[in-house]
Amino acid sequence: MTGGAEARIPEPLATPLLSVDDVHAGYGRVRVLHGVSAAVEAGQLVGLIGPNGAGKSTILKAITGFARVSAGRIRYDGQDVTGVRADRLVPLGIAYVPQGRLVFAQMTVHENLEMGAFTVRDAGARQEAFSRVYDLFPRLADRRTQLAGTMSGGEQQMVAIGRGLMVRPRLMLLDEPSLGLAPRFVALVFETLQSLKAQGLAMLVVEQNAAQTLAIADRAYLLELGRNRLEGTGADLLANPETRRLYLGD
Amino acid sequence: MGTDLATAAQVVVSGLLLGGLYALLAGGLTLVFGVMRVINLAHGELLMLGAYVACLLFAATGLNPIVALLVSIPVLFVVGAVTQRFVVNRVVNAPLLTSLLLTYGLSLVVTGTAQAVWTNDYRSVPFITGGFALGEVSISRPRLLAFAVSLVLTGAAHVFLTRTRWGKAMRATAQNADVALACGIDIDRARMLAFGIASALAGAAGTLVSFLYSVYPEMGRAFMLKAFAVIVLGGLGSFPGALIGAMILGVVEAGAAYLSTTQIAEAVIYIMLLAMLLVRPHGLLGTAER
Ligand SMILES: Nc1ncnc2c1ncn2[C@@H]1O[C@H](COP(=O)(O)OP(=O)(O)OP(=O)(O)O)[C@@H](O)[C@H]1O
Ligand SMILES: [Mg+2]
Repeated sequence: MTGGAEARIPEPLATPLLSVDDVHAGYGRVRVLHGVSAAVEAGQLVGLIGPNGAGKSTILKAITGFARVSAGRIRYDGQDVTGVRADRLVPLGIAYVPQGRLVFAQMTVHENLEMGAFTVRDAGARQEAFSRVYDLFPRLADRRTQLAGTMSGGEQQMVAIGRGLMVRPRLMLLDEPSLGLAPRFVALVFETLQSLKAQGLAMLVVEQNAAQTLAIADRAYLLELGRNRLEGTGADLLANPETRRLYLGD
Repeated sequence: MGTDLATAAQVVVSGLLLGGLYALLAGGLTLVFGVMRVINLAHGELLMLGAYVACLLFAATGLNPIVALLVSIPVLFVVGAVTQRFVVNRVVNAPLLTSLLLTYGLSLVVTGTAQAVWTNDYRSVPFITGGFALGEVSISRPRLLAFAVSLVLTGAAHVFLTRTRWGKAMRATAQNADVALACGIDIDRARMLAFGIASALAGAAGTLVSFLYSVYPEMGRAFMLKAFAVIVLGGLGSFPGALIGAMILGVVEAGAAYLSTTQIAEAVIYIMLLAMLLVRPHGLLGTAER
């Protein structure tokens, strides 16, 4: 990350691209988030870290309508999108890549990407999206007719990320993109995140791999038991003795 | 020896002709299960409605049942889509027993209403009859016609599912509804469309049945069991599996009917089903659940 980029703005602007305000959310009767706030500005990579069960996935699910928000507000691009279902968010430019490398197992790689472009009606734009994703992941281009269910974990994660990119999103929500992958695929995931960031895509990334995430994050939030614990720039949290003790093994 | 071969050929041909119709009927049942994990016990009643469309149109205007398909297909599509939207969609994520009870209840309501409106009288649509010989095998004209139309419609549904935007969206919804949502697919619409298409296929099967068998309010029950047997053989949620299962069922049924009585033929089907459930519960082409 050498010079050339515009000066980084350390604090959130008045109107970030995505803002999660004091959100309480859960599943049925189960309350998981007890007032969580976070913000992502255009073009920023924001990390979300915390122990298992802290509610990291639930934040992404609250944003995408998979978890029920009982209080608080979620705003995107000036609109209130609290409780809006994922399929309505896609046309607004929000892509969600859930935890667990989920793919349509009985469909080919190409069909998976095609489903990612479901809301893209313009044939030219679809074509362009396919070449962009195949350029980013040449391995998928070689295997476009393979059934996604028969691929390795790392390859499936590429399919899942590629599928999210097909709509040319402005904001991508990624849940544990490197979890359970072989080291070379972990490296590939982080390289990909960096190159997407360089292209101006805003991302909210949930990760177990705290050190690598904080190293590339503009901002990060540390969550515990459904509440905000710490926040700051990636570098701040990386230097924070508490984060170091809890997550970086110091 | 020669006559034994001819008999075997006759059984196979009769069975395959029957199998085409079963495939058309079971395709819809398997589609609905695949897309919304609901076993629609009212599927046979949709066939019955399709048969009545043909009967009533014939009685009123003398309409040829093949032309009546142009009415029964869209009518049953709408019936299915509306039923899904307002009734079945409520139980999509409920336990299987809930949807079984609901669709069983629906089947009783539809049958009862049909009995009240159309009485229990047996009806039929006189249409082409007779047959022709192909070597030593005789082929019934109406059955051949029903078979051909069934294959065309089943094939059209398969092409729709594998080639079109909404067809693929329905398969995506079947494979992972949450990821389908994340792709921007309106899964409620995909499910409504799937139920509509399944109903249209069942309705078309009913219209074809109207010139082969008697039409009466409770006719759906026997066909429902056949469709159920087909998906047990072929695997729930698998369209090509349904086609293969239907052909096997048709041939076994024809063979058992030739060797014994119709009642014993039915029993043979159930024994085969039980064996299948014990040996390969996910069917020939189905994949084991999770
Ligand atoms: N569908 C659900 N229904 C009920 N409770 C749930 C559901 N999903 C998650 N939870 C609960 O919510 C809490 C937070 O889960 P969440 O998945 O958000 O944690 P996480 O921070 O992403 O953890 P992990 O690192 O294990 O992925 C957990 O206690 C979990 O048991
Ligand atoms: Mg999680």
